[in-house]
Amino acid sequence: MGYTVVTNNVLCRDRFQGEYDVVYNEDWSYLDVLYQVRDLVQKGAILITHPMAGSLKPNQTPFRSVVIGTFTMEDKEPWEDIMLMENSIESCQKFLRGRPLPDYAENIKKDFRTLDLSFIEGAMARAFRCPGITE
Amino acid sequence: MDKIRVVHYINQFFAQIGGEEKADIPPEIRPGIVGPGAALQQGLGDEFEVVATAICGDSHFGANLEEDTAKLLDMIAEYKPQLFVAGPAFNAGRYGVACGTIAKAVEEKLGIPVVTGMYVENPGVDMFRKDLFIIATGNSAADMRKSMPVMAALAKKLAKGEEVLGPSIEGYHERGIRVNYFADIRGSERGIQMLLKKMAKQPFETEYPMPAFDRVDPAAPVTDMKHAKIAVVTSGGIVPQGNPDHIESSSATKWGLYSIEGMDHMDKKDFMTIHGGYDRAFVTEDPDLVVPLDVLRELEKEGEFGELANYFITTTGTGTSTGNAKRFGEEFVPKLLEDNITAVILTST
Amino acid sequence: MRLELGKIHIKDVQFGAETKVEAGVLYVNADEICKLVLEDERIINCRVELAHPGESCRITPVKDVLEPRVKVSGGGQIFPGALNKVGQVGSGRTHCLDGACVVTVGKIVGFQEGVIDMSGPAAEYCPFSKTQNVCVVIEPKDGLETHDYEQAGRMVGLKVADYLGQFARDLEPDEIEVYETKPLLEQIAEYPDLPKVGYLHMLQSQGLLHDTFYYGVDAKTFIPTLMYPTEIMDGAIVSGNCVAPCDKVTTYHHFHNPVIEDLYKHHGKDLNFVGVILTNENVFLADKERCSDMVAKLASYIGLDGILITEEGYGNPDTDLMMNCRKVQNAGVDVVLITDEFPGRDGKSLSLADACKEADALASCGNGNVVIHFPPMDRLIGMTDFIEMQIGGWAGCKNDDGSFDAEIQIIIASTIANGFNKLAARGY
Repeated sequence: MGYTVVTNNVLCRDRFQGEYDVVYNEDWSYLDVLYQVRDLVQKGAILITHPMAGSLKPNQTPFRSVVIGTFTMEDKEPWEDIMLMENSIESCQKFLRGRPLPDYAENIKKDFRTLDLSFIEGAMARAFRCPGITE
Repeated sequence: MDKIRVVHYINQFFAQIGGEEKADIPPEIRPGIVGPGAALQQGLGDEFEVVATAICGDSHFGANLEEDTAKLLDMIAEYKPQLFVAGPAFNAGRYGVACGTIAKAVEEKLGIPVVTGMYVENPGVDMFRKDLFIIATGNSAADMRKSMPVMAALAKKLAKGEEVLGPSIEGYHERGIRVNYFADIRGSERGIQMLLKKMAKQPFETEYPMPAFDRVDPAAPVTDMKHAKIAVVTSGGIVPQGNPDHIESSSATKWGLYSIEGMDHMDKKDFMTIHGGYDRAFVTEDPDLVVPLDVLRELEKEGEFGELANYFITTTGTGTSTGNAKRFGEEFVPKLLEDNITAVILTST
Repeated sequence: MRLELGKIHIKDVQFGAETKVEAGVLYVNADEICKLVLEDERIINCRVELAHPGESCRITPVKDVLEPRVKVSGGGQIFPGALNKVGQVGSGRTHCLDGACVVTVGKIVGFQEGVIDMSGPAAEYCPFSKTQNVCVVIEPKDGLETHDYEQAGRMVGLKVADYLGQFARDLEPDEIEVYETKPLLEQIAEYPDLPKVGYLHMLQSQGLLHDTFYYGVDAKTFIPTLMYPTEIMDGAIVSGNCVAPCDKVTTYHHFHNPVIEDLYKHHGKDLNFVGVILTNENVFLADKERCSDMVAKLASYIGLDGILITEEGYGNPDTDLMMNCRKVQNAGVDVVLITDEFPGRDGKSLSLADACKEADALASCGNGNVVIHFPPMDRLIGMTDFIEMQIGGWAGCKNDDGSFDAEIQIIIASTIANGFNKLAARGY
């Protein structure tokens, strides 16, 4: 009963490695991360954080991290997560169709990584501590 | 000054060739005005000239979507039109889909303005409203006298590059394109006024209609797959060779139920596809691509699920109105229940 | 609570040897402002520039916009818990320099704050093209960590607005507006025949550059709570977010929340404005469930007949917006949503990332994806080096003469999702 962070953000990997499972690939795009999460949700994983955390639009930030898990205190049907993933992917594709992601310099990418990490850190600070895991 | 050249598209009925019995006539084009083209010419006035009328049977077009579109495009292009008008199709589903398909193709390939017209329930409206200006018409040809001038008026504006105003002013079906404007009062006050009406149970108009919610909540998961009886339902247009029940290749009005008893896959000798909305080459070669009988039989043998129903249910999804689709479900679901089907696999294309 | 808001009309802003207000002109001593700002070691450079409506002037990248205010009486100080000591606000007398704004400007690489044009086509979309602006341009210490820089930049705005506000304390207001909301039972009894209306104010609370503070408390850590509408006019809510310039709710907009202002105009006439519910827009999904439940509970607990809901941001907040809408409407309280739209470049896609059938009444604040032209300007406050990377810009959108094309989402508060502007979108 743990959490899994699916991410293309190295800061997120470094922060949560050891604490949670981390599925990381730096070559994934924002959309690739959503596809990964969608596949895992379809296989039964539960969404813990919102797939579009932050109000940076999907063609404005290269980085995306989503936490999924095997347990949640949220009372929801499995298909709600599937719908949320599909809506998010559709919305992401809409923005990318309009304009591609800018080719950011490394210092800008660093800022976006920091933001992405902040969304997940803020959320996981509030996450239900899983039974069996001692802090 | 040269007149602006216009080509008009109509079906076999409006070309006065015949009704349903002539719906399979192939594409043709005639110089000048045919049938409702006279009303179109009158509406457009002296600066315009309807130089040709393209004609195709609705069934022929539905069954040969790509070929007919290509043929019609070539015929139309020869007349070097500067404006293209299709229909109006009123509530005729296949005619509406034909008008929408050909108008969209003309706009994309010939790069000229296009206008068509349909009744709100015509499936062509939902299929093409985002791509085309579709004038809202009545549901039958009796409305021709009223709708043709509206089509002509918008067509004139488009041909001359004039600004097109909102759907309620120009008379077209809202295209779902969000356009900015400066309102007279700010958003917060408009919201409050809307709330006052809503609380008083008075009519109010939202400024952003939500997408349609004709959704069905998913059924509970199957708990015991080992004993489940599974059936296949498809909108992919797979039918026995020869299409014995004459299910339409688009805008279907019927569905069929066919046996797969004793078969271990969908053999191309036995089955074909009549679906007008995709490239049929692969499915014609291997109908298992749409009704995956081969894999289902394997899983059945391996004991992944209890048993496969000895039939499948089929129709064509393309252009089929939601009203008909809903009716199909209401018609065949009792049969599924009667046969103790646990779950259905729906395949689309 | 009863609040008198005394407005001192400002029709011009000028540099002066001492900071003061005289005959509707705000004179600012730039050195004093810089000294104040540079007290923070994280800021190594500060410059004050003035911008007036109609000038050929562009301000970017803008972080926040604030109105100078001061608490004259009634307890507490402006920006409680964020700048000044924690203390209940919302009663007594407050003065403001109406028509003047503090604009904080400075680069945060990649974080894409917005643009204010003081004239030209983009000025039509921006409320701060019409105000007398005291722009504070700051430069951070090299290598300053992003969290620290955000906090430092936020404090600069609060300090300068507070500093200028002090000069309004002893002035005679040109106009006094009185806002009053009584304790719930009394308020309901005052207009027993009018529908009881509330306002659900959703605060950005997703993380760095996406946070909002209520009496200094990070909104993501609170649970939905009730607020007297007048508290917000004394700076109880402070903006700590910088992204999405077009629908960022600036601290100015918290002072001038249009839903609250307009509900007060209707108060006692055709509705009974009984109060505000605050909630957040958290990333943690269980929070959404929990907070929307509580919002619906509070709305029915205080006996509302109707409620207006505003959000801030796109994507994740849309989920909160729809959950709140569904649960509150199903609790028997009529809902109207106010928000802006992002239907894509061609305007054909869905405007929001989420939807629900209960959302049958929505007031639009416009389509943020629309592209307009930004002509060259004679004067630049800040820098346009990053226009192509800023939200709404794209590679190649900028021309050599300084002009550029961009989506209106690059303009501060152009589609602000609380209905402050007249911009709206309709279906074509």
